[in-house]
Amino acid sequence: MQNFEYAIARSVDGAIELSTSESRFLAGGIDLLGEMKEYITSPKRVIDLKLIPDLDRIDTSTSTWKIGANVTIAEIARNERIRATLPGLAEAASEVGSPQIRNVATLGGNLAQHSRCWYYRHRDLRCLKRGGSTCYAREGENKYHSLFSGNPCISPIVSNLAIILAALNARVNVRRGDKDVTLTIGELYSDAWNNPLDHTSLLPGDLIVHVEIPTQKNRSTYLQVSEKGDFDWALVSCAAAGRNSEDEWADISVFLGAVAPIPYRVESPLLESGKLSREAIESIAGSIAAKATPLAHNGYKVPIAQALVRRALTRIVS
Amino acid sequence: MSGWPKNPKQLGKEHLRFDGPVKVSGSARYASDMQPVGWLYGMILRSPWPAARIRAIDLRPALSLPGIRAAVTANDAPFTIRYCGEELAAVAGLSKQACLDALIAIKVDADLLPFVVKEEAALRDTSPRVFENQPNAAEPREMQTGEVDAAFRTADKTVEGFFQTQVQLHHCLETHGNTVQVTPNEITCWASTQGISSVRDGLADNISMPLDKVHVMSEFMGGGFGSKFGPGIEGGLAARLSKEAGGVPVRLMLTRFDEALAVGNRPSSFQKVRLGAKNDGTLVAYELETFGTAGYASGGATAGGGGGAGFPAPYIYRIPSTRVRQTTVAINAGSARAMRAPGHPQASFGMESIMDEMALALGMDPVELRIKNDPSEIRRQQYQIAAERFGWNAKHHSPASSEGPVKSGTGCAGATWGGAGRGSEAEVRINPDGTVEVRCGTQDLGTGTKTLIAIVAAEIFALEPAAISVRIGDTTFPPSGGSGGSTTAASVAPAVFDACQNALADLALASGMSDPTGSNWRSATARLRINPIVARGRWKEGLSSRGVGGVQMAEVEVDTETGFVRVKRIVCVQDCGLVVNRLASVSQINGGIILGIGFALYEERILDSQTGVVLNPNFETYKLPGAADVPELDVILQDMPERGVIGIGEPVTIPTAAAIANAVSNAIGKRVTSLPITPSQILGLLEKLPGIRSKSGTS
Repeated sequence: MQNFEYAIARSVDGAIELSTSESRFLAGGIDLLGEMKEYITSPKRVIDLKLIPDLDRIDTSTSTWKIGANVTIAEIARNERIRATLPGLAEAASEVGSPQIRNVATLGGNLAQHSRCWYYRHRDLRCLKRGGSTCYAREGENKYHSLFSGNPCISPIVSNLAIILAALNARVNVRRGDKDVTLTIGELYSDAWNNPLDHTSLLPGDLIVHVEIPTQKNRSTYLQVSEKGDFDWALVSCAAAGRNSEDEWADISVFLGAVAPIPYRVESPLLESGKLSREAIESIAGSIAAKATPLAHNGYKVPIAQALVRRALTRIVS
Repeated sequence: MSGWPKNPKQLGKEHLRFDGPVKVSGSARYASDMQPVGWLYGMILRSPWPAARIRAIDLRPALSLPGIRAAVTANDAPFTIRYCGEELAAVAGLSKQACLDALIAIKVDADLLPFVVKEEAALRDTSPRVFENQPNAAEPREMQTGEVDAAFRTADKTVEGFFQTQVQLHHCLETHGNTVQVTPNEITCWASTQGISSVRDGLADNISMPLDKVHVMSEFMGGGFGSKFGPGIEGGLAARLSKEAGGVPVRLMLTRFDEALAVGNRPSSFQKVRLGAKNDGTLVAYELETFGTAGYASGGATAGGGGGAGFPAPYIYRIPSTRVRQTTVAINAGSARAMRAPGHPQASFGMESIMDEMALALGMDPVELRIKNDPSEIRRQQYQIAAERFGWNAKHHSPASSEGPVKSGTGCAGATWGGAGRGSEAEVRINPDGTVEVRCGTQDLGTGTKTLIAIVAAEIFALEPAAISVRIGDTTFPPSGGSGGSTTAASVAPAVFDACQNALADLALASGMSDPTGSNWRSATARLRINPIVARGRWKEGLSSRGVGGVQMAEVEVDTETGFVRVKRIVCVQDCGLVVNRLASVSQINGGIILGIGFALYEERILDSQTGVVLNPNFETYKLPGAADVPELDVILQDMPERGVIGIGEPVTIPTAAAIANAVSNAIGKRVTSLPITPSQILGLLEKLPGIRSKSGTS
């Protein structure tokens, strides 16, 4: 990797003060250090966030929970309150990487991580996302790539947590200069849908401080299918969440991961009706196929997405 | 009959490997741990282009950087590059980062050339040639027995298929490399190798040094699988860097990225096969046409028998009329090397798949069809032993007949291998204090060779294995062969046996005791006074033999909605002659099966047609089975002590993928036609991909 300055931030304000147009924030380092070693990114300054107090806290004192950006994935996976109230979030966290990675990786880093596209990550290539002129995946080896994209780059989002947090209507609190900005998950990724160079909508110097999760959705789940049984990226993931009291359902949302540069919302009037019969679920799952634009090697993601939508909805309503 | 003891106390028992504690505690020193005084890091600059004419390489910008002590080019320019990852130059410096910076600084002037990386494309006349003056496809190798066309006409049933296997990488956990010191008078090398002698020969040749001045050591090494016989291009570069840097040691270990490009692989195969049988199941005719790639060249200078992309056919079966035509096609990719049972897993997958198709066509049980046609009596027994242990008759059902979206299935396959011993030597030293040292110029691939040597010596001397000091991995020790072809145990054990017998005779003479073993040991050795007993021994006939079978059965579950395959259980029946260490044997078999699971479900080198690069040069996307992917492994060792020691490193990885593929096909009712069996392939076979309409009703 290239030489860099190493700075330690002691507060959110301090981190913002230390940041420059050529700096990057370091939390768990799982994504950043990999990119630096491969010369994909070469920041002039690396700002360590790990000593900022309170960023590793989970605050459940009000009905909207706050999870600090430095909370590790392992903590989210094992936290008893999260497991009881937001089971889908704990499930998504438990599928991230390996135990070693989960012990180090953080919520903020998981949300802000960059594309895993093998053209983007290859040291000898300069694809569209790296500022080159071609998305090699479109005509090339695209079995891990998107079924939906708003721009020529088809590298999909791989953050598990983004998918479940989208389904839970979470918001991301970001420090932008001297302002606090709150983004929906949709807003956090919308630029990645539109612009091949973007992984998220974060601007240089933006710092994710915490994530706010309303707890009204008392049913949630996360499922993924990978090639391997463990320690593997999702080929397709699916999160579903909703609010249930007695037989009444409200606010059901379903998102797919690894099929678009953003958490992909499964839209259906049937979801809004709150009446999820077996036939309704089948129809919602079936609706995905017509909208997808499969490429040479990723068409198999369509039936997996359908199966996961069916299973996730069946799981939360049963 | 074998000359081994009839009622052994140590042989065939379960022994923990001696070097377990030093390995798991990190105190075992591998080539990659060596830090001799004054050592430098070495690193290689590799071509980012799949084909190029290198006009000039300017090393001066690298040499001017702080911490860089030497730089060399891989060849004298101009020269031609034929694959992404081919060596351009190498540097040695005080730190890894200094070397990384230096690699970036080297200036390479190159003209890029057209290239081809897909086998089917390389076969076309219009495609770029890997070598300018020869076509990409080698002359086919053709073999025919009997009247094939006439024999097919006599068949009651004929089945055909087209099967593909992928390029699999060795990915040894310790990467390839050496720590080498070249002074004007001698070469010292700590190598990660499965052949210390061949490393010595290679280095001597490379630096033009007489053999007696070259010393190679490999006390511990982290896997080879057939890819680590010679010093490799990396060893030659390390030696030149050491010389260039004034004789200081250079440690040049490859990176994981390098491992995916330049140090071997298992060739791919594309197999068009036709099989004919009588209604009673008797096979009468067989036809096979194949191509595959072994990379830009079939083998290469340090390949250790990689050969081309051909394989044995019709594998383990004897069919009266056969026609086989096999071609190897060059592409712009790294060269193949021998890989654990070269050719056999590919052969097994194609043949055992078409056998199951035939069983279906005949309405015959797959095990019954195999027993009917398998010429090996041992394997016929093994099918029966395996079927009973597995519960085959109860479990095996007609295709796709299990209830629900998750379908279960069963499959089986067989293997064959040699595993013979050959000319190894060993030396035993019995010291006056009763301690015993055994020296042998072999190396431990990770299979427990040191422990095996101690068990043999302990058996002969009636001592505990822990009382034997074993020293291996040094070219100053009595010579032994390379660890390839499953030959190490069958070569080393007889040599150690012979040396121990000779030492024992000498000790009896020196001590005047007719039986100095066991409880007499200390009093016998005490009579040696100053001079130890030193005896040599060599491999001889009668203590080892060759030729094993091996049968595996697999049980799988396939989620027909997501395409996810889970292997539930593998039963393996393996004949193995005389078992030396039962624990290590079963462990080696477990490893072979796990490698086979990787070949079946996960592993595949993926090349990009547009750029020629390997897209998955890491463990993130080159997928290896993890603990969660390993099923219940049920290993039955079929002891035949009268046959002596036989190597079993290779046969145990051969039939796994074929058995899994047959089980998956049985589960879903569609024939698996290529490896690895991914969710994408399963969903494609089930006609669930968008745009693919069900063909039923149209044919």
